[in-house]
Amino acid sequence: MSSLDQCPSTKGKKDPKADPASSVNGNSPQGKAMWRSLDEFAGSGEFQPFLEREFPSGASELLKSSRRTFMQIMGGAVALAGAATLPGCRRPDHKIMTYSREVPEEVIPGKPLFYASAMPLPGGGAEGVLVRSNVGRPTFVEGNPRHSVSQGSSSSWSIASILSLYDPDRLKQPVFRTAEQERDATWDDFRAWSAGHFAEFDATNGQGLVILADQMTSPTRDAVRDRLRARWPLAQFIAYDPTGRDNKVNGLRLAFGQPHGELLSLENADVIVSVDADPTRYESASLKNSRGFGAARRLDSTSDTMCRIYAAECNYTPLGGMADHREVVAPSRLPVVVVEIAKRVLAATGADVDLLRRLNAWDARGGSPVSVEWLDAVAEDLVEAGGRGVLIAGQTLPAEAHALVAAVNRALGAVDTTVSYVPLDPEAAKDGVGEIAELVGGMRRGRVKTCVVLNCNPCYDLPTELGFEEAFKAVSNRIVLSEGPSETAAHATWQLNAATYLESWGDVAAADGGVSTIQPLIAPLYDGALSEIELLALIAAERDPAEFDVQPAGYDLVRDVWAGRFDWSDFETNWKRTLQNGFAAGTGSSGTEGISNASVLYRNTAELLGNLRPGAEPTDGALDVVVTINNMYDGRYANLPWLQELPQFGTMVCWDNPALMSPRTAERFGLTPDPYEVKIPKAQMATITVDGRSVDMPVWIMPGMAENTVVLTQGYGRRVCGVVGTGVGFDVQPIRDTSGTRVYTNATVSPAQGKYPISSTQNHWSMESRTSIVRTADLPAYQKHGDEKVKKKDSYGESWKIGFGEMLGELAHTPPNISIYENPYNESQADAAEGSWYSERPQWGVSIDLSLCMGCGACTVACQSENNIPSVGKTEVRKGREMTWLRVDRYFTGDPYSSGSEGPGQLYHQPVACVHCENAPCETVCPVNATVHGPTGLNYMVYNRCIGTRYCANNCPYKVRRFNFFDYGVKRINGGYRDEIPEGTPKPNNINLIPPRLREKLAEIQKMKMNPDVTVRSRGVMEKCTYCIQRINAARYEAKLQDLENIPDGFFQSACHSACATGAIVFGDILDESSRVAKAKKDGRDYALLGYLNTRPRTTYKVAIGNPNPKLREPVVDPFHHHDSHGGDSHGGDSHGGDSGSAEAAGASFLDPFKKNSDDGYAVSLRVLGAATGVHA
Amino acid sequence: MSVLFPRWMNAFPTVSAGIAAGGLVSAVVGTWYWATPDFWEVGYMPTQPGGGFNHQLHSGKLGMDCRYCHTNVEDSYHSNVPTVSTCMGCHTEGKLAPEYDPGVELVGFIREAYAEDESIPWRKVHHLPGYVGHFPHHMHVRAGVSCYSCHGQIVGMPVVYQAESLSMGWCLDCHRNPEEHIVGPSRVTDLVWVEEHLAERERNPGNATPEAQAIIDALHASKAEGGPQNCGACHH
Repeated sequence: MSSLDQCPSTKGKKDPKADPASSVNGNSPQGKAMWRSLDEFAGSGEFQPFLEREFPSGASELLKSSRRTFMQIMGGAVALAGAATLPGCRRPDHKIMTYSREVPEEVIPGKPLFYASAMPLPGGGAEGVLVRSNVGRPTFVEGNPRHSVSQGSSSSWSIASILSLYDPDRLKQPVFRTAEQERDATWDDFRAWSAGHFAEFDATNGQGLVILADQMTSPTRDAVRDRLRARWPLAQFIAYDPTGRDNKVNGLRLAFGQPHGELLSLENADVIVSVDADPTRYESASLKNSRGFGAARRLDSTSDTMCRIYAAECNYTPLGGMADHREVVAPSRLPVVVVEIAKRVLAATGADVDLLRRLNAWDARGGSPVSVEWLDAVAEDLVEAGGRGVLIAGQTLPAEAHALVAAVNRALGAVDTTVSYVPLDPEAAKDGVGEIAELVGGMRRGRVKTCVVLNCNPCYDLPTELGFEEAFKAVSNRIVLSEGPSETAAHATWQLNAATYLESWGDVAAADGGVSTIQPLIAPLYDGALSEIELLALIAAERDPAEFDVQPAGYDLVRDVWAGRFDWSDFETNWKRTLQNGFAAGTGSSGTEGISNASVLYRNTAELLGNLRPGAEPTDGALDVVVTINNMYDGRYANLPWLQELPQFGTMVCWDNPALMSPRTAERFGLTPDPYEVKIPKAQMATITVDGRSVDMPVWIMPGMAENTVVLTQGYGRRVCGVVGTGVGFDVQPIRDTSGTRVYTNATVSPAQGKYPISSTQNHWSMESRTSIVRTADLPAYQKHGDEKVKKKDSYGESWKIGFGEMLGELAHTPPNISIYENPYNESQADAAEGSWYSERPQWGVSIDLSLCMGCGACTVACQSENNIPSVGKTEVRKGREMTWLRVDRYFTGDPYSSGSEGPGQLYHQPVACVHCENAPCETVCPVNATVHGPTGLNYMVYNRCIGTRYCANNCPYKVRRFNFFDYGVKRINGGYRDEIPEGTPKPNNINLIPPRLREKLAEIQKMKMNPDVTVRSRGVMEKCTYCIQRINAARYEAKLQDLENIPDGFFQSACHSACATGAIVFGDILDESSRVAKAKKDGRDYALLGYLNTRPRTTYKVAIGNPNPKLREPVVDPFHHHDSHGGDSHGGDSHGGDSGSAEAAGASFLDPFKKNSDDGYAVSLRVLGAATGVHA
Repeated sequence: MSVLFPRWMNAFPTVSAGIAAGGLVSAVVGTWYWATPDFWEVGYMPTQPGGGFNHQLHSGKLGMDCRYCHTNVEDSYHSNVPTVSTCMGCHTEGKLAPEYDPGVELVGFIREAYAEDESIPWRKVHHLPGYVGHFPHHMHVRAGVSCYSCHGQIVGMPVVYQAESLSMGWCLDCHRNPEEHIVGPSRVTDLVWVEEHLAERERNPGNATPEAQAIIDALHASKAEGGPQNCGACHH
């Protein structure tokens, strides 16, 4: 705590650093300290100077440069300056290129259009999206508010998909290779070749033809596949998912006898029990589940209720991080938790005697990994919630455990309220990796003549042990369709360039079975690229190859399938409506076939119990290894710098996939990374071995993980990728076995040679050790005090009122700072007071509910996409130069070296962007008035005035300003760690990772991504969140054109608000009584971050509320400990319970009918107006 | 001492001070005059492709409304330059009577571009820097600011040139004193009338039409006391 800000009454009394229990960042309701890294927890002497520096030492310096290199650079610069300024004297010649003969009528230059489409998710499922098109260029992807899965929000995958369209490394034309030569070809060459080649299979019924594809739920692809099989019955079509997600599917098939999928409705849940489940990320229904979580967890008033979450897991997941009671369990012991819960639930509900008997007789091979009290409390809560409880299991659990979970949910009566089991296409439930494993032998022996690979990368993403790469090379005709360069495409005889989903026609089914159309936003950027379905149709020679030149064949393919599939009386109208809405009305089932007969389910489950054998508790010599996925999925997103640079959940590591261990495990093996001391730390290399298969990786510590457990992440260490992704991180495929499972036991770990630099943002942008940053409370405390307004009086006789949220911070015991500078815009201390500048609508503001933020980071990516924010590369991130305007701070609680209730507990996530202070500290220090205030409460940043003094960033207490140390915005991102890899590190150098000074300019194609409404900033300019001022101005104009007096709520949204799936971020007009943001701010939980500095921020936060089970932890009802410790009298005049009940009940959850209707108010919003619907004619 | 310095050296301090002062004054005056958009930008008149487009003929002599070609000026940020097919509405071969047809040498390039479905690379005359976001034409037309106020007497220009400086100070002049330029939305494109009307209003202030006066009064009553003058209105 800097002494200037410290409460006068605590001055000299207490040094927070000396007492880790009272953290500066905030305290959990149990009084546990909050911290971001182990160094911060320990408060080591060397670490403090690191934090206090705004940037790590050396960040402001150019390079390690000697006088000689300086002269070289400057000499070149002077010469260039001379050459560059002469033509600069002439006015640049700008051309206006209009449409000519073919004029699209719906295009109005300057007005974006929005098209409904769907993005196929990896591994099946889809996200409904609206794609913004600026004069034919897709520039932004956001959620389709009417789509049942995305419900208006979007994942970082769909937002970043726009980058893969404009990726300069994409394959641009077909390439033909033989052993001797490689030559560029055309699609016509391929067509000519393929017509003859595939006809040969007619004689053999397709013997020797193999088609490998990604798991995808596309009706049209299925139809084309079936026609292909009809023509060549012996040909093999294998769709696979390399991330080991089969356990749930297999378990549910065994349980019900038929393939089934699980579809959660978390919005109905009162009790959620997660056993290593991760339903809000990387799954086909993730957005729906996040929406559901938000609805179940949100509190609008003190009379509201919220769900309770229990989690038993081996590493933090977003859902587990939000849990009220979290237990850490090693992966091999997780099945025991499921069985123990099942035992208790079945005993209490009396659902099935036989199953219960078998459960009681089941051999746990050791004691329960969690306490009996925890299990009892969980089961009791679940049974009490009945149909409104749900048990979820993750992919690390074996199939049998998933069957048991379904039985528990059935016994609870939860089926059809919180969880549905949807029949699955048997094709989608096939074990693709297993089929490939069987195939490999045949490929090696030359039994496969032709292998077609559609948009997947088996040479990289399958376990090395399978030996696919060698077998693939033995196939004589290797045809690979791929968007970008890949390990598989590099071995192709025909390497074909694929069209992305933004360039081609298609269709895809979402997790709930609802079918969407995919419509192209732009013609394929490179030489007639084809989509999967078009290539399949070409292979099957269903159409005259010449047709592909003139007509997008995908359109006909999709339409034909839909005409056969839907019994629409008026096909044309329904088809057009589908294209406009983005999905077919009436599709999507919530059916639960197969579960009607519960006794079959119980019997199947009971029989499966015999196969459920948990491993032993891992030890030093026999560790558990889990292979997980993150934003890279199976590696397909490796070339997207936004996703590479997005700090990963929990670790905040970018551009790498270190092996994760708990602090104690790492310490025992001597693998703890260097501590943070002015310099940036490096990680230790280690060798991880399972059954003789091993990988060498750096080790990073993750508090709150199971002991003797290693978490690995796949999707890194790409050998052949674009310049961004090649060689980033480490490939973990060598450690996987042919089954492709996620969990391995009996692993060993030993230190290896060398150290490895890791970029983690966890200690960046520290708020100068100021206090009460994250505020938390328990539900009973909120219910008791939430509506109170407490009158405060200081010794000068000044009095003010504060609510519940503020009572948890400094204002409870210290008067707000009063500015002696008369702010001309403020005539009152109250927000938007009468008579001040801020009394006229609109006044923009944001409310962020810390109860709901799970730390997924979609807001960061959406902001990056909307505002042309560059990525900077690994080395630059290490120097603290990341440019993202919106960061999500992550705080741990508890003691990282303990376990149980003392150990790491809930994670808190706090998105921080510019909070738009009404008394902005940045504005007063700018020598050139480049940052000033506007009448709608925005803190403007005027780029062309900025001279780069960085005083504003220095004076910003929130540390939200970003400085362009280099021309990041107009240079290609190539990462940058070439110089720092030490000798002996087993790591391929990526020669393309070069410092920003030496990077090339953006390729022309990359410039097409830019949002034309936002300036691309150049070197030496400060920037920060603008509240999406370009959207505000567009809405202002649109409201005037429509003669609206005010801009209605929901008329437009900031990018972060539109992306946020849980509804944590709400943007709007705070003077509009009916707006969601005004209602959110009226809640007692509302507090201003660092509000005691009298900055009067427009972005305010809502206290994170936990809902502990009194049987496990007594909730804290009077959380004002800070205040109590002063005895209350030192400041005088406190009176609790002044005006209670002032907060009004503000509607219910997002998903209830009332709210849904009000969200349909987006029908008048900009994105729908702009669409080619003819509304605005 | 007289050996060291000749007599005329006595005048040296005075003369050099005079030269220095003169130099300073001319530097200031020179910068003031020459180093401004008023000098560098006004009068920019690039040669247009083909025969160009004669505004004097089309909108002056023939009396075509600006919005016949610049169709989106009331709907969008951009006032669009017309598509080639708009030109071909009249200049398709044989459409105009022979006595009115300008002939292949003047409109041939349009027909060629249309036949090839290629755009004509018109050269941009009025250019704002990238950090100004967009100039919202639709809002200005709606507020009754005539084309004349920014683009000059277009109907008198055979070849379009930049008539105003388009500098920030010039923008703010009007936003602070909207009464000098607002003529009302109904007559924004009637440039000949606007020029006379504004000259008349300069001689006799307060002579605005009722429609214009209502807008001027509303603007003066607003918080900004004129058009928006905050940075964020244009810079983002």
